[in-house]
Amino acid sequence: MTHNNAAPIAHVRNFCIIAHIDHGKSTLSDRLLELTRTIGERDMAEQVLDRMDLEREKGITIKAKAVRMLHDHADGQQYELNLIDTPGHVDFSYEVSHALSACEGAVLVVDAAQGIEAQTLANLYLALEHDLDIIPVINKIDLPAARPDEVAHEIEDLLGVPADEVLRVSAKEGLGAQELLKAIVERIRPPMGDDSRPLRALVFDSHYDSYKGVIAYVRVMDGIIEAESLLLTMSNRRRIEPMEVGVFGPQMRPVAQLGAGDVGYVATGLKNVRDCRVGDTITGATQPVAEPLPGFAPPKPMVYAGLYPVDNADYTDLRDALEKLQLNDASLVFQPESSTALNMGFRCGFLGLLHMEIVQERLEREHELELLATAPSVEYQVLLTNGEVIIVDNPSELPNLSQVEEIHEPWMHISLFSPSEYIGPLMELTTGRRGEFEKLEYLDERRVVLEFYIPLAEILVDFHDQLKSRTRGYASMDYAFDGHRPGDLVKMDILVNEEPVDALSLIVHRDSAYDKGSLLVRRLKEVIPSQLFAVPIQAAIGSKVIARTNVKATRKDVLAKCYGGDVTRKRKLLERQKEGRRRLKRVGKVDLPQEAFMAVLRLND
Amino acid sequence: MTRGGIYLHIPFCEAKCIYCDFCSYAGLEALHGAYVDALLVQIRQSGSSRHGLTFDTLFVGGGTPTVLTSEQLAAIVAACRTWLGLPEDAEATVEANPGTITQASLAALLQAGYNRLSIGVQSLHDQELALLGRIHDVRGALEAITAARAVGFSNLSLDLMYGLPHQPLARWQATLERALALAPEHLSLYALTIEERTPLARSIALGALPAPDDDLAADMYELAQEMLSACGYAQYEISNWARRSPGDQPGQPPARACQHNLHYWRNEPYLGLGVGAHGYDGQRRYAHIVDPEEYVRRVAAGESTLASSEAISRDQAMDETMIMGLRLANGVTRDRFRRRFGVELDAVYAEALAALANTGLLEVDATGIRLAPRGYLLGNRVFAEFMRAGS
Repeated sequence: MTHNNAAPIAHVRNFCIIAHIDHGKSTLSDRLLELTRTIGERDMAEQVLDRMDLEREKGITIKAKAVRMLHDHADGQQYELNLIDTPGHVDFSYEVSHALSACEGAVLVVDAAQGIEAQTLANLYLALEHDLDIIPVINKIDLPAARPDEVAHEIEDLLGVPADEVLRVSAKEGLGAQELLKAIVERIRPPMGDDSRPLRALVFDSHYDSYKGVIAYVRVMDGIIEAESLLLTMSNRRRIEPMEVGVFGPQMRPVAQLGAGDVGYVATGLKNVRDCRVGDTITGATQPVAEPLPGFAPPKPMVYAGLYPVDNADYTDLRDALEKLQLNDASLVFQPESSTALNMGFRCGFLGLLHMEIVQERLEREHELELLATAPSVEYQVLLTNGEVIIVDNPSELPNLSQVEEIHEPWMHISLFSPSEYIGPLMELTTGRRGEFEKLEYLDERRVVLEFYIPLAEILVDFHDQLKSRTRGYASMDYAFDGHRPGDLVKMDILVNEEPVDALSLIVHRDSAYDKGSLLVRRLKEVIPSQLFAVPIQAAIGSKVIARTNVKATRKDVLAKCYGGDVTRKRKLLERQKEGRRRLKRVGKVDLPQEAFMAVLRLND
Repeated sequence: MTRGGIYLHIPFCEAKCIYCDFCSYAGLEALHGAYVDALLVQIRQSGSSRHGLTFDTLFVGGGTPTVLTSEQLAAIVAACRTWLGLPEDAEATVEANPGTITQASLAALLQAGYNRLSIGVQSLHDQELALLGRIHDVRGALEAITAARAVGFSNLSLDLMYGLPHQPLARWQATLERALALAPEHLSLYALTIEERTPLARSIALGALPAPDDDLAADMYELAQEMLSACGYAQYEISNWARRSPGDQPGQPPARACQHNLHYWRNEPYLGLGVGAHGYDGQRRYAHIVDPEEYVRRVAAGESTLASSEAISRDQAMDETMIMGLRLANGVTRDRFRRRFGVELDAVYAEALAALANTGLLEVDATGIRLAPRGYLLGNRVFAEFMRAGS
């Protein structure tokens, strides 16, 4: 049936584009938007500018993550193509999975020179799990290093799609984009669903708008959403009286209704993204369905770190900023934490290291906070001698070893994709970090995938950089949580000026404790500026000191000369010095720089 | 009337030393005459806009003022007398570098009215002098000093540098011993400072010369403090010592202290003329452009030679009074501060005083505040506390 503002359901196609990073996903999206005149060629730049202005003005990120395009197909009919964007990084695979649930098809983009990479496969497997129709596309065929025939064969081996059916495009040059639109109509099935059934809509993304509240990005499975509908979120039974229903074109454009198969948005008026979470099901308040759509689970943090304001007075500002970020980022969790070294701050949980970096950067840039982050930690399950099991995500909270029966740590299953000549360095990298080799497979004559089990704690820090540097940037990685395993782990405390600094404690494997302790005290010596007195730095397990060094006292910090001409210059120099010291954190009697808390990140150099 | 000093800058040298980032140029001999003329014009013009200042010191610095002829230097001091009211008995210092002075030229300078000579000796070790790019050797330095004494200069100051590349403690001690044997009235001892964009900085960056060792420099400083004190010198500023005289009063700088520099450290006004020269009239700090040819042209054209001018707020003036005054052994007295600003030092700097309590860097008593012995080498740590945010 036809519904207002939209094509009949048979003329709707919902798809996403999946690709390894840098394989050209956004350029290809841009070409499709241009070809369908969703955005005029000339508007592209202006569009970007407008968006940035708005971002600056409102301090929010406008996501154009689900764009409706209208395509005039060769059969003379007009089709509604909904392109749903997916985050590429594995940290966000939970969100990817919901974006895929909103689609019937996926365009799989593979770089003509690079071939299949880790995230190509990771995303492809996810797409196959969601039973999507896959259109493989080889991009960047204009590159001199392009080897489209070989890559087509890799894809054939992988997907069983005959090599000659693999589309070849150059998004940059606009080659093959028209053929891709044609394939989207012909090779992706229309959505199923029925306007007349009770409403079930999947929330696959959201953002917070200060005027309209939480904007839920929805894919309607059955039923109709109108601005007048009374709605209900199924996970927490939150009632919604929509302020607006619309589609992204790519700007938000109100429509009278969204029907089965449609993709669009509901401006919910809700004040917190937590009230309308990604993965949740929206139904009608008057005629709710009994069962939600499958797959809803709150995202689970994998990485934890303490975030502290450099200036204690900024504590409430930090809390407000975290709350604001949480409006847009349901996967960010935090709770107050206090440290003897750093005073009041927050223990934050992140999906992964990239997520942690993004959050930290946004807090510093958008909220102008100066932050200290402690080294990232994983979540340990600690079995105590009294039989109790506690969860520890902050090393300083690990109880005394005499009370600990066993410590379990999270292990990951990782897949490394690489040219075969780097097998040696990759084996060395992973086994050096307690990795257990599982298997090796050749993707073709020169590319392999190596699979390992490895403790998450060992890949948190610096692993990705090492992976890249040891393979000249060629290797890529995918990972998934495997399970908890017991390990011979100990807590290493760091004492600065004879006092333990809780924010520097870490949990390490007993076999590497001595090496890490020596290295850490050396690193700390490099980054701790000399103080007015000598500062001993020690690493200890329990009461046993395993490594020590000294930061020498500053003896001289004065300008030899200062006469009339130097006053202004001198004043500026002193101001700079003072500013520099303001960024230090006083712990006991010692001023520590941010780098001291991050020194632990450089233990594998 | 507020008392102040006159600083005149002579931006010429025979050769540029490797550590020097001052406003000085070698090879501009052709410009000397025109430059002095421009300076004389500016001295005359400044005489008509003195804003109630009286000048009681003159300091002709460089560069190397003594690359000018004695006649040119005589004309300068005479102009200061005529147009700026500099008294006959006022301290009038000229900087002199060995290799640019003779007994005859020194006699002429004394005759012209310069009564204090500041000699850039820097080291009494030939290899060190050569390394620094000085044009003189030890013999030249000793001859210059002998000549100055011979013509009758009774107020001599020597500049020495320590913390030089490859300089061991013992060699610094030898330089000090030789300098003390000359019994100068005044000594300025400067730690070699690496300024950006100097040949020295480049040599260190390239690894051709070792980076300065702060610990060794600190040892050298402490050695100098001991030796000079034992030889009858009073340290009245972080880098300056004066021979004690019978009439010296505790709580006051020694009589042989450089009266001109005391103006700076007491944050008093000074007129600055010449390229790169800075000045402070009590309200504004200003600086002149650094290009001598352009300077000469502008003076001739009747244009301003200022490169910058900055109004100094009351808060800034207070902070500057502290950071300059704390360089002096007597520090800043409560009386002086109250008289100048009408508020109590302790009230304005309660936060700084609290931060510095128990650091052993600062002495506080009923008279005022000053660096504690331990604070001399860590002065910046103290001064920074007196820089109030937003001032």
